[in-house]
Amino acid sequence: MKLIKVLLAASCFWVTAALADPPPGYPFVSFDAGLKAARASGKPIFLYFGRYGCAWCDHTNKKTFSDPSLKTLYSDNYELVYVDAESGRRLTLPSGERITEAELGVRLQAFATPLFVYLTPQGDKIVQIPGFKTVQDFRDYDRYVRGGYYKQKTLLEFLGGKP
Amino acid sequence: MRAAALLLAVLAWPAQAAWTWSEPLTVNSVQSATIFPHLESANRRGIAVSGDTVGVVWEDNRDGSPQCYLATKPGSDEKFRPEVRLSQSDCYEPAVMALGKGRFVAAWEESGKVRAQVLPGGAAINLSNDEAAQVTLAFGAGKLYAAWAEQAGRFRRIVVARLETGPDAPGVSFAQPVEDRVPADEQGWPALAVAGDGSVTVAWEDRRDRHSVPMVSHSLDGREFAPPVRLTDLKGGNTLGLGAGTGAMRPTLTAWGGQGIAAAWLDKRDFLSGYDVYAALDEGTRRFGRNLQVQDSFGDNMAQWHAQIVGDASGRLAALWDDARDGTPDVWLADWNGEGFGDNIAVPAASGPGAQSDPLATLDAAGSLHVVWLDRDEQAGTRIRYARAEWK
Repeated sequence: MKLIKVLLAASCFWVTAALADPPPGYPFVSFDAGLKAARASGKPIFLYFGRYGCAWCDHTNKKTFSDPSLKTLYSDNYELVYVDAESGRRLTLPSGERITEAELGVRLQAFATPLFVYLTPQGDKIVQIPGFKTVQDFRDYDRYVRGGYYKQKTLLEFLGGKP
Repeated sequence: MRAAALLLAVLAWPAQAAWTWSEPLTVNSVQSATIFPHLESANRRGIAVSGDTVGVVWEDNRDGSPQCYLATKPGSDEKFRPEVRLSQSDCYEPAVMALGKGRFVAAWEESGKVRAQVLPGGAAINLSNDEAAQVTLAFGAGKLYAAWAEQAGRFRRIVVARLETGPDAPGVSFAQPVEDRVPADEQGWPALAVAGDGSVTVAWEDRRDRHSVPMVSHSLDGREFAPPVRLTDLKGGNTLGLGAGTGAMRPTLTAWGGQGIAAAWLDKRDFLSGYDVYAALDEGTRRFGRNLQVQDSFGDNMAQWHAQIVGDASGRLAALWDDARDGTPDVWLADWNGEGFGDNIAVPAASGPGAQSDPLATLDAAGSLHVVWLDRDEQAGTRIRYARAEWK
């Protein structure tokens, strides 16, 4: 009986691990909760726009977000928001408009997942970046966002000028 | 000489029938920069034609919270009558179906339940006992059905109900889940259609395979449903051990021809170009054929959104959606030509500068196409616009 329980638990873990949800161990919250927390904390928002079953999201979680230092960097300095590209869950935009999580993809003109969006604490978009990215990429984006470079340069200009 | 030959060739070309559009009308009587109307519903069933009366339902926040509204336009009226509010508390994703002679039935989510009301003049009732959402309606062969996503343990599952339409209120004749077992993962966004033979088809978005896939099931009597199968002919499964498969969402269904059912949905099998519109046809065998890409090559590298398919008993079939291939969101239409979906046509009043999106459509008994869409303007507010088209 105990063995069956262990096997069931293991199979549940395997199923969870095979999904493309937020990376484990990160304090991702819903859009509304993240926006509220950002307004209170003054931290920028890191929005992970993922899709259930998405291979590239899974790849990014395993290859990139598994890095402990990246986890600390983003958990400490951002309000982390996860949005499911096909979900009917509701969220409220800073304008006051209520839409579904799937509809947010329309507004972001998302054509691929994962899509990573950096927002100000008020919910204004700073930059959005699609596709698989490395640990170093996310460190660069963090410098761009929290360093305030986005106020003067595009991300491409910033990365082009990187030493 | 060459020019003359070309002119002769053009003159000799047979006249092609096409949709001829009316001047657009505005449906919602109140607009402002802080009012946000939405035309979202399961199966995109937000417009219906009852007799010669057009009915449109939507949700907006003009009263400080999301509420659902119905506006009607009798055929003799030149514009829509002021809308009536359907709900008392937070309301989402309303659907409407024609009952004939100017009567409608509307259904919506309110306070965590799904409700329905016969209009004009009826009283609203709860359709669901448990927490439920994403209700849709279908009428055919003299019978009215509803479907919704209802909480069953950790996840929602699809329930189909037969409704009776008394003079004052609808009644639930029976309601039961498509599958008896508790769902293994989320199910939602049901689409319903009643074929000419009275059989019922239901499709929905399903995550049992660990990615979103439209599933479909049929019933001869609306009560006993066949085991569901995938609507998509693309097999799921991970890629090099990653993920579980590409996504496909928001299926829509329509009765089509004497016995047929047609389906359309958003499909991300080409994962680098956003969702595409895919369709499949069941010509009466209660099996859907191969999947067909609906949008043409001009929209191929562009994300499509808000797809719907509409058909009628004569065999007319059309798909609508929005995409931004011309720089801003426009409403597009593709007709079934017997072999495939034809060239994509921009709906004239729902294209051009600005953002026109979220089309809802229906074909009336005479074959006229009725379309509503959102015309967004951040300063003036969003208008719900309506146009009618005749095939000439």
